[in-house]
Amino acid sequence: MRCIVRVGAPSVHALGLAAVAAALLSAAALLPLEAPPLALFACPFRGATGFPCLSCGCTHAFAAIAHLHPLAALEANPLGAALALGCAAHVLWTCLRLCGLPYAPAAPRLTRRLRFSAAALLAANWAFVALRGGP
Amino acid sequence: MLEGAVLARCPNCRNTFSTERTGPQDCPVCGKPLVVPEVATAAPAAAPTSGPEGAPATGEGTPWERRDELGFWTAWGETVAQALFEPGKLFRAARLDRGAAQAGFAVLTAGSFWIVGQLLDRFFLGAQRERLLNALRARGQLSPVLEKILQTTNQNSPRTALLVTLATPVAVFLLVYLSAAVTHAAALLLGQAKRGFAATFAACAYACAPLVLLAIPGCGGFAGAIWTAVLTGVGLKETHRIGAGGAAAAVFAPYLLLCCAICAATALATSAFLRGMPQ
Repeated sequence: MRCIVRVGAPSVHALGLAAVAAALLSAAALLPLEAPPLALFACPFRGATGFPCLSCGCTHAFAAIAHLHPLAALEANPLGAALALGCAAHVLWTCLRLCGLPYAPAAPRLTRRLRFSAAALLAANWAFVALRGGP
Repeated sequence: MLEGAVLARCPNCRNTFSTERTGPQDCPVCGKPLVVPEVATAAPAAAPTSGPEGAPATGEGTPWERRDELGFWTAWGETVAQALFEPGKLFRAARLDRGAAQAGFAVLTAGSFWIVGQLLDRFFLGAQRERLLNALRARGQLSPVLEKILQTTNQNSPRTALLVTLATPVAVFLLVYLSAAVTHAAALLLGQAKRGFAATFAACAYACAPLVLLAIPGCGGFAGAIWTAVLTGVGLKETHRIGAGGAAAAVFAPYLLLCCAICAATALATSAFLRGMPQ
């Protein structure tokens, strides 16, 4: 991973996104999955078609990552697992930046190939979730 | 070659970054090629800069960003009025280095009116909701999930009011960032994120202006949410300098693909409504 030198404290957006990531991971770690409010998130797409949607299983994936069960997270939803890991990494990196780390990861150049690859990965994730959780 | 690292500004995404060499290179934030000139002959292409949030001004600033000169309430009122009736002008004037101010505007506008709306909703519609709850319970048509939702939204006590007042601004702050992150991810995927996260955030933050309608019990939230989604599209078009189609796609793709929770809430509300109708 390529890093760039960043002067000063993290930007307000980095802090805001870290707050969101920390809130999501905390909620996934502390709230029980089978009781409200998390149990209220029923998927209407699954209700209508019997197939899970792209993000079905993300709550379970976040909970599994928060409880340090990466394999269970991947099983629930690979996209959710990647997002949860990304959230954890961003929170950790922002804390290090606040402690004086002068480096930030450089964003990759967003080429057409990279965007198509990301779309293909999303489709593959959906296929995986549908095959595992379909009727 | 420079003697030490200097801050340079990307002319495309307007973010700043640190570099130790001059000449042609790629912006580490947006990846677009740029030229870092010698410091002594700094050209507008990638000028050394300073500032807590990196990106420089592109317009003169929205009224909210000039609240020191206009006055707090005048600036807030003008910003809301522009967002509602002249959104293009507002988003064109938005500065991308004023993220904190923009977050403050969103939290103040959506948060305060949402608090008022929740309290009025409990006060005016509580009895009606209670009747619906009892009717559904008597027919045995009430699912435990729906009962829990209706009971939670029907609580009306000083403790609930305090909890609503304290939790709502935090919820708004988190939701604005979450919305901006999801919208920006969609914009990146569709190749529409031309000027970095700060531009998406500015669009999402000022698009919260119609959420003043949250103060109207009942239908206010629905109208405000739709207006906010449309304004976010207008905002993306102006702040990222992209086409209307790309902006609309970036805003609505996440709602179609990812936001199950919103669909679930709509489905639950529709189901509750249909179950409550006489057979």
